[in-house]
Amino acid sequence: MSVEQNQQALLESYNGSTDPNVQQAAQTANQYTELLKSGQISKDEYIQAMQDIARTNNINKSADNMQVMEYMNTAINGLINLASLA
Amino acid sequence: MKQVVLSLLMLTLSGCAVVDAYLMTHYDPNEYKTITEIRAEAQQFKNQCDDAVTSQVNSAKLATDTQYFVLYSEHIPKNNNMISASKDLHDIAQGLADQYSKAKVSPAFCKIKFSSIETSADRMQTVIAGRPR
Repeated sequence: MSVEQNQQALLESYNGSTDPNVQQAAQTANQYTELLKSGQISKDEYIQAMQDIARTNNINKSADNMQVMEYMNTAINGLINLASLA
Repeated sequence: MKQVVLSLLMLTLSGCAVVDAYLMTHYDPNEYKTITEIRAEAQQFKNQCDDAVTSQVNSAKLATDTQYFVLYSEHIPKNNNMISASKDLHDIAQGLADQYSKAKVSPAFCKIKFSSIETSADRMQTVIAGRPR
């Protein structure tokens, strides 16, 4: 796949998703592709930067999971307090 | 009333999720301090990327600090998501240190890496801060 085809696929991901993590990843990948095309980063660096997008995405997913647990913990403790008051 | 509230709790959440959320890892000030230091370093280091010698030292420092964070997090019970995130964060930091040891690194790439670390550390810091106390 050429860089241009890759950019087109990224643009489609950006437009086709409502997930902010996907949109952010597509936007970041597009910026890195522009840096490669303008010669500001090397091909090796580009590959590693793109791999980091996947790592960042994993971090965001883990953080999302933890935040859901935190909200649930707050809700459970709230309900327990309500129940003990009743 | 008590029965109604407890029934509501059991109906809205599955059993395992309730137990996991209720027994989740609590706030740890040392974990919070470590991720804050990583974020602060990344924020500072990204402004020094035009100086390759300093940035090489900075990248090695951040790789060491993120490795410390992995080791600190990995034996905290019920902390799987943070362990996974800390390993990914370390991989990002180690990648920059490795790049400096094998090739010339462009200032743009240096900034990308430190910015990624800063953004991810910020996200992780937010989650750690929000844990039950």
